Formats: sequence, C-alpha cells, structure tokens
Amino acid sequence: MFRNTYDSDNTVFSPQGRLHQVEYALEAVKQGSAAVGLRSKTHAILLALKRSTGELASYQQKMFRIDDHVGIAIAGLTSDARVLSNFMRQQAMSSRMIFNRPVPVNRLVGAIADKAQVNTQEYGRRPYGVGFLVIGQDQSGPHLYEFSPAGNSYEYYAMSIGARSQSAKTYLEKHYKTFDDCSLEDLVRHGLHALRETLQQDKELNINNTSIGILGPAATHETGVSGVGAFRILDGEKVKVFLDSMVPKETADAPAAAAAAAPAPAADEDVQMEG
Amino acid sequence: MDHFPTNWGRPRNDAWDPYATYPIHQRPNNAPKDAFADGVQRTQQPIVTGTSVLAIKFKDGVMMAADNLASYGSLARFRDIQRLHPVGNHTVLGAGGDMSDFQYLQMILDELMVDEFAAADGHALGPAEIHNYLSEVMYARRSKMNPLWNSLLVGGFKDGKSFLSYVDLLGTTYSASTLATGYGAYIAQPLLRRAVEGREHELTADQARKILEDSMRVLFYRDARSLDQYQLATITKDGVEITESRKLETTWDFAEGIRGYGAQTQ
Amino acid sequence: MTSIGTGYDLSASTYSPDGRIFQVEYAGKAVENSGTAIGLKVKDGIVLAVEKLVHSKLLVPGANRRIQTIDRHIGLAAAGLPADGRTVANRARDEAANLRETYRSPPTLKDLVDRLGHFVQMYTLYSSVRPFGTSTILGAVDKTGPSLYVIEPSGVFYGYHGAAVGKGRQLAKTELEKLKLSELTAREAVIEAARIIYLVHEDAKEKEFELEMSWISPESGGLHVAVPQELVDEAETKAKEELASGLE
Repeated sequence: MFRNTYDSDNTVFSPQGRLHQVEYALEAVKQGSAAVGLRSKTHAILLALKRSTGELASYQQKMFRIDDHVGIAIAGLTSDARVLSNFMRQQAMSSRMIFNRPVPVNRLVGAIADKAQVNTQEYGRRPYGVGFLVIGQDQSGPHLYEFSPAGNSYEYYAMSIGARSQSAKTYLEKHYKTFDDCSLEDLVRHGLHALRETLQQDKELNINNTSIGILGPAATHETGVSGVGAFRILDGEKVKVFLDSMVPKETADAPAAAAAAAPAPAADEDVQMEG
Repeated sequence: MDHFPTNWGRPRNDAWDPYATYPIHQRPNNAPKDAFADGVQRTQQPIVTGTSVLAIKFKDGVMMAADNLASYGSLARFRDIQRLHPVGNHTVLGAGGDMSDFQYLQMILDELMVDEFAAADGHALGPAEIHNYLSEVMYARRSKMNPLWNSLLVGGFKDGKSFLSYVDLLGTTYSASTLATGYGAYIAQPLLRRAVEGREHELTADQARKILEDSMRVLFYRDARSLDQYQLATITKDGVEITESRKLETTWDFAEGIRGYGAQTQ
Repeated sequence: MTSIGTGYDLSASTYSPDGRIFQVEYAGKAVENSGTAIGLKVKDGIVLAVEKLVHSKLLVPGANRRIQTIDRHIGLAAAGLPADGRTVANRARDEAANLRETYRSPPTLKDLVDRLGHFVQMYTLYSSVRPFGTSTILGAVDKTGPSLYVIEPSGVFYGYHGAAVGKGRQLAKTELEKLKLSELTAREAVIEAARIIYLVHEDAKEKEFELEMSWISPESGGLHVAVPQELVDEAETKAKEELASGLE
C-alpha cells in the first residue's frame, strides 16, 4: 500500500534520518499554482497565478493581508493557509495591542514555522500542506521570507513556490542582482516575467488569473495608497497596467532564461485542486 | 495517560499552548490550582512605599529624579532604595507607591528584555513600547481588582525622539514634557512647568539638573515621606546614565523660631 | 543494522531483540547529514561556530541564523533538522526563564541542560512522538565560569572542552584535540574555530557555505552575541590562507 515502510506516519524516521511524510507535504505545496516574491530596496512584492475550477466558478484567492506591513501569497491547501494566516493576524494584532508596534516580520514567520514543526513530530497529526511567501516591512526595510510545512523559514532576495516554480526560480536567479535598485514598475515586470515561466504551454497571464501584492510607496499610476505604502492586493482591472508593461516572451531580453529554464516534469500537471 | 510531551512539566509562566496547534486539540491546563484561591485577599493598600518621581524633557533627552527612601507608613524604613530602574538601553522606569509591586515589575520587565535579547534580530523595545506594555499590565491587574499599587514614569530617548509618559495603578496614562507622581504632582509639577514648558528644546543638561534638584529640595522641605538623598537618571542618544546617590543642600536655620521644632524653651 | 525492515525500527517505543532503539539511531542520521557545528570552551569564554550550507543563491546572506541565543549569557548551535533545533531552543528559553524566575539569578548551564536533556529524552519513550533530529551544542559563561554541553537525540548530555556535531564532526574533533583549549583566549579561539570549519568543509566542497560564529567573552561583556564582523573577516582570511598553504 505504501511506497516504503517508513512513510506511513510522521513520527517515523527512515533509516537515513528522513521524514517521508514531511517530504510528501512539500509535494502538496507543488500541487498549488505558483507564487513569486521579490524585493528591492524600497518595495517587496508578491505575484500569484490564480486557478479557476471552470467557466462558472470564480478564481481562487492566493493572497492574504496580515497587517499593514505584512502580506502573504500561498501555494497548497487553502484551508491550511487560512488557519495559519488567521494565526498570523492574531499575532500581528497582539503585538499592536501589547506594545503598540508592528510585529517584527521575522518573528511572525518564525512563529508559524514553530507551529508547523509540532505537526511533524506528533502522532495523529499531519504536516501542513501549504507553503507561504511572506513579505513584510520594518525599520530595516522590505523583506521576503519563505515558510514551508517542514517548519523551516528562510529569508530570500527572491523566491517562488508552487507548480513549476523551478522555472520561475531559474528566471529569478538570473536577474536577482538587479532587483535591489529596481523601480516598483520594473520589479513587478520582473515578477510577471518570472510568473509567466510557470504557465502551461497554451496559457498566458491575464487580469483574471493574476494577483499582485505590493508593499511600499505607490506606483506612478496607483491611487489611494497610504503614505508609507501599506500592503495591498491588486486584482482584475488593476493589474492590467502591469500586464501591459510585460515584454512579449519572444522579444524579451530574456529568451535565454526561458530556454534555460528546466522543462517542467511531466508528472507536474496542472492538477485542479483547492490551492 | 497524556501522550503528548509538550504538555508535561511546562514551566509555570508559559502562555497557553505556544507549541501546539490551535484549534484542533483542546489541551489540558497543567497549571496547579491554588486551593486557597478563594480565600486570598488582594492588595487594599500599599505597605512599603516610595514617594514622588519627577521627570522633564530637555534638549538632549529626558531627565528623571527620585529619592532613595522607602517608607513603612510614616517610618523612614529603608534609606538606600533605588527607585529609578533602567530597562534596556533607551528607557528608565521611575516608581512611586508600593515597592514590592515595583520589584515585581522590574522582574517581569527583565524577563521581557531577556526575551528581546534572545531574539537577537535588531528589533529593540523603546520607551514607547515599554510604556504601552506597562499600561496593559497595570490596566489588566486593576480589571482583576488586584492592582499593582504604583504610579510610574517612563522616560526614554530612541531614534532621535524623547519620550515621557505616566501610568498608574488604574491603568491611566498621559504624557507631558514635565511629569511628577505622588506629592510631587501637587508641589513640584507647577515649578517644573514654569521652568520647562516652551523651553524643552533649549534646556541644557546642567539647567535640567538644576531644575530637578531645586524641585527635589522643595519636596524634601514639604513632603514628610521624602529624603534628602536622591538619584538622577539621564537618557540621551548615548543611552541611560543613573547617578550615584547624592545629597541635597538644605538649611534649617529658619526653623529655630518655629514652635514644635527642636528643643523648646517653653 | 541488520534489523532494518524487520519491524523493530518503526517506533521509539520498541526495542529490537538485541536491545537497541532504532528510531533514536535514525534520528542521529538526520544530524549526521547536516552542516558541521562546533563549540570551544576556553580560558575566558565560549565560541560557537557553524558551517551553514547555502542551498540557494537567492538566500539573503547572514539573515538565516543557525546559532540562537537562549539567555543573555547562553548560546545554542544546532545541527540536524533546523525546525527541531528551533523547538529545542524555544524550550531552552522557557526553561531558562523559569530557572531565572525561581532562583532570581542567571541560570547555570548545568541546570539548564539537565532539564533540557529530560525534555529531549521524553521523545524517545513513546510511539506517539518521534525523537528530535537534532544535536545541540550549548555554551555559557555563568557563575561557575565557561561551560559547554552537547545534547544528543537520545537525551544524553555530556560536558566538553571542545565539541563537534554534524557531518564533519570526526575531523573537527581531531582538530579540537590538538588545541590547548584551556590556555586560549576567546579571541584566539575564534580564529581556530573559523579554521576548523573551513577545514571540515573541504570534504563537501561542491556546496557553498557561510561561516556563522558567536561568542561569550570579556569583550562581549559576558553576553552571547555574534562575533564582531571585523574579527570574523580576520578569522576567515587566516582560515583561507592556512587552507591554501596546507594544500600545496
């Protein structure tokens, strides 16, 4: 029934010291559509590909606001993400209540990582089946973190998670050194180019399937953004300007990047599932 | 048998359920129940008390003063008590009222600062955050009808800004460029206001020191629960500095003619 | 490990016929695969150093620390599953805070590891949990002077003059044994620690790594803090020189 003797539950180490159930949970993250995060000196942004189950259905929610200074994008089980993001909101509110300060982002990510660790060690639980990209801002500037069901959290210059995220990662690794000095517009364009790499052959980014989350001062055409640039999620018509700014793939200065991107494994089909 | 080791032998002061996963399991609360909880009487009055704390803003930061006396009723019981307590590198807490409650506050603040130090992520708590925290603690305790019997001044300097605020046993808070607690709120506060208000950005450290010293002297003359030994705390961009105990210069010649003072001839 | 696959190795609550608890040994394997961590107890302080393997070039250098602070004067370096290391560290902070509250003084490391060893050991008793996949080095300067301990996944703990866990521990131990640890100052120990980490990394050269170091010394005022950057730079330069000359 099982692939091996040591993968039936999360309280068993394999003879190599591996935790198969945790590794399978990481696979659950890859079942979700991709999300990309990157940052400059002034901004941190998230981009995500939304799925829809059909013509009559709306598109899924891939981003959540935690506080003015924190936002997340998810890949994997949406219900698990809702539990964790609810917890993050409580932590953020508690910090504002007790100390009247925005919760330090690294501590917030650490807190959910510590929660996730418990689910890898006790019988009768399963590891969370969702990964986060978390962007946040504090006195040391914008930050980007990845949270994974293994209970790890790392800070990155740029990162992507979800289905075919390796292709986006390849793009990001090629360009991340230039991100630091990017304007918001350029940063979003890089993000969209990276996100585009995760698409299936015949698909493209449009105003329905693309979400953009921004932390930092407003873009030139943006209106109604508070002074410091609180976290906001752009959907629908609001992402059009950014989509229009994209350079078509054939003529883009990065065709090499697209070609170099690891071809998506065949098993990695665009499975229609929550998340 | 409880099979989940995170439930066993928890340190007593833990917040509920920090490792586990809300809301799937309701975990038992392992804290021992106090069999005498219903019979406990809460603080009705302070016992060993400190009197006024004074604080003013000046051009480089905040200066605070408090004498070294802890009274037991009208008895001058302890004359070497420090009532100015540094919290981290940017903040000083000055306390009047019950000294055992003040010592408890020092302990919880120290625990808090250890936690912050252990995070080692460059996020330091400043005076504003510490004052907000204290106001939550004080208000929570008064709401349990079990107040911490103190009036507190929090002074500090961080990120180029001075901070000075008050919080007391009811959880009441307010801010001003001059603050005084206890008897000092009646006697010293008007003097401080006259000397400081409108000149917060001009006063030098020497001038600020003189203003506080003069006010402490007036308080020693008029407040029967005060002492002529006191300490000064200065908080600036360079951090916290608390002086050794110093003695006020006072003269009592005038008292010779007062009935009831010294050896009476009649 | 002849009993692998016989069913005696699936639970921490099961002995094998020859009296071993395989799940604990497997947890040890999780530690063996991770980057090396070392600790040095010297004349006037403690130095901790880890070989932090960098799994992506997108990681922000210096941001993802593997050495943690437990109390003002106590540091912890974990090898193995990072998430387990964090859980042990969180527990260590709770225990340290509790000891502080009970005795109203900075806890000694001996008291702390005694409690922490019990905590780790409990996870080797039941089928409802798995052992910790982490070995932790704890260092402190307390009222008894500098002290250094290692807690294994089994819950056993020993005091050391020099300790090494993780992939390169054998070579690191050999190098540590050559030092006169009780005569070194913390400043000198930083140089040695960097050299050892660079040396043991030679075997896993294909992977990038980052050197992370902390200390508790007179210079840090008895606090557990990161080693100042200029000293790290100096130590790294010397380590690289030494390595280059040794390879000739």
